Amino acid sequence: MRLEPFAVPVKLWAFCCVLIAVLLTRNGILTWTLTLFALAYTAMQRRWSIVLSYGSFYALLGCLLYAIRFHQLKMALFSEFHLILFWTLSPIAVVSWDLIKTPPGELSAFLSRMKTPTPVILGLLVIFRFFPTMKAEVAAVIQSMRNRGLTAPAFLLRRPLESLEFILVPLLLRCLQIADQLSVSAVARGAERPGTRGSYFGNTRLSGRDWAMISIWSAVTVIFLIVGDVRSWSN
Amino acid sequence: MVELKNASFRYRDTEEGVQDISLSVYPGTCVVFTGVSGCGKTTVTRMINGLAPAYYPGDRSGTIAIDGKNIDDIPVWQIGETVGSVFQDPKSQFFSSELNGEVAFACENYGFDRDEILRRTDRAITVMELEAIRNRPLDVISSGEKQRTAIASVYALQPKIFVCDEPTANLDQEGIEQLKRTFAKLKAAGHTLIIAEHRIAWLNGIADRYLYIANGRIIAQYTPAEINAISNRKRREMGLRVSVPIQIPNLPEPNAAQPARIRTKLLCCHRGQNRIWTDLNFVAHAGYVTALTGINGAGKTTLALVLSGLAPYNSGTIYLNEEKADAARLRKAVYYCSNDTGTQFFTDSVSEELLLNLERNAETLNAARGILKRMRLYNVKDSHPAVLSGGQKQRLAIACGLLSGRDILIFDEPTSGLDGANMRLIAAELKSAACNGKTVVVISHDAELISACCDFRIHLGTRITD
Repeated sequence: MRLEPFAVPVKLWAFCCVLIAVLLTRNGILTWTLTLFALAYTAMQRRWSIVLSYGSFYALLGCLLYAIRFHQLKMALFSEFHLILFWTLSPIAVVSWDLIKTPPGELSAFLSRMKTPTPVILGLLVIFRFFPTMKAEVAAVIQSMRNRGLTAPAFLLRRPLESLEFILVPLLLRCLQIADQLSVSAVARGAERPGTRGSYFGNTRLSGRDWAMISIWSAVTVIFLIVGDVRSWSN
Repeated sequence: MVELKNASFRYRDTEEGVQDISLSVYPGTCVVFTGVSGCGKTTVTRMINGLAPAYYPGDRSGTIAIDGKNIDDIPVWQIGETVGSVFQDPKSQFFSSELNGEVAFACENYGFDRDEILRRTDRAITVMELEAIRNRPLDVISSGEKQRTAIASVYALQPKIFVCDEPTANLDQEGIEQLKRTFAKLKAAGHTLIIAEHRIAWLNGIADRYLYIANGRIIAQYTPAEINAISNRKRREMGLRVSVPIQIPNLPEPNAAQPARIRTKLLCCHRGQNRIWTDLNFVAHAGYVTALTGINGAGKTTLALVLSGLAPYNSGTIYLNEEKADAARLRKAVYYCSNDTGTQFFTDSVSEELLLNLERNAETLNAARGILKRMRLYNVKDSHPAVLSGGQKQRLAIACGLLSGRDILIFDEPTSGLDGANMRLIAAELKSAACNGKTVVVISHDAELISACCDFRIHLGTRITD
């Protein structure tokens, strides 16, 4: 079997399936079947980092739940309720993580084919760039604060609000600066051209493997809801 | 051909702008606008690519024509097909996190079909020699590679004209050399190049004409031979940098046998699988300016951060005044001044920024007043740092370091975006700080700066990667 990413429509379909399954089921514990399938689905796309990191987290979650249920483990920060919540939402987390890791160009290609207006597509691209950019900016601000002696414990305790302002103000100003530079760059590169956008990524048709995965996700969701019992919303 | 006739532009609600700009730029030639910071050279480039007034509001008069068509009759997106724009800081202009998507961005906007986008993107990547980084995230490539990625994205559209606004402002020497090869290639392929730039030496051999702008007007035009013949004295008066590349002077290394203000012994630093440097012995003395040079990726900035107590290292020892020092002690003794001023300012005025976290007594206030005047920042002392020009921000960041009261000052590429006059000003300030007993370390490839103020030079070896 080829191990390569599925097309964007498959990822969106998978996301819809887990969302429906998790929201409708009465049996939260049984979502382990969906989580395992979601991890297998990410492995089929060679997303090893998701499989390993979330797989480990999920195994730890399982151990804690087992210890709480059968060995009366008490934790200071988390209750059984929190753990079951994480447990139940895990399939959504895995599938969303895979969706977020999709190259933004592939998502924009899909949206272009759907005749989505260019401003919406550019907005999506900006959102995807926002998080890594902000992560780097926050690190740079904190480094500058340490350099100027603004992170010393005594300073933080004496002037907590001012310290918060020292982080937020340069970040906000940097956001404005980056937004301005991004806009200029987009305008200079034809972003205001009327008409449909082209796309570098993605074939126009789904492959047989993509269709097979759509069918499998549909079947898994239906079977899960039959076995796991559908929640009644009337009472 | 680009033709400007008595073109003027004034930004809305300000007095800034340019007046009566007239020139003709013929196909396949390279024209360079130069002059001191704020002279108006960037505004001229913005008029040519249509961003002023389409993006930067203001009043424009006179005529600008591209290939005989009046620019007023062409929508700005259509100008972008003929005039490609390259800006100062490429990293904050990327819409994609990977090379293919970024290079294809402009082609996607112009609605080309997929095969055409693939063909143009692949060609741009090949021509700009970016094949090696095709599968690497854009966040981790070097500054030179980022700038070439930005140029590739414009090149993919195959515009006849490239308009560049200080394309080397954020580049080190290696990045500049790569960019020079790229621009030579573009010119040889028949593209017209219009470049606004302080550092003009790298354009020697590419530029056909230099236009000197002052106070928003073209004051003089020079051929390459004429600009190279300008005397040093006149160049200083004009605030220009050298027009022909000069060699970094052959300076001695600091004497490791003498007592040092800061010293490292067998310092090693790894980042993941990459060995940045191993067994590094670094020495800097009080009262001298030491240049720290080395190729891109040699670990100069990492060393500066380690010496400032802002980054960890794996093994070895750092000594302050010949005593072992931990990170907390280093942070109290060493000030690190980055050349990226975007995240360095925290207060709402230039004077508050200078005095941040300093004891406010008469001596400090006098020193702050003095440095503001010497750095030509006194007239903006009450302005918010965010509204300063790039050069003013850079001078303010350096002034904060000089006033910090710490004994060791490390400046990372302090003159990368500065004109000749400000570069010489900074050189004088660094020299004066050393004369007053500070230990000054300058990470720089600016041969003019090193010639003007450095006493010693330490060259970090080649990048060693596992």
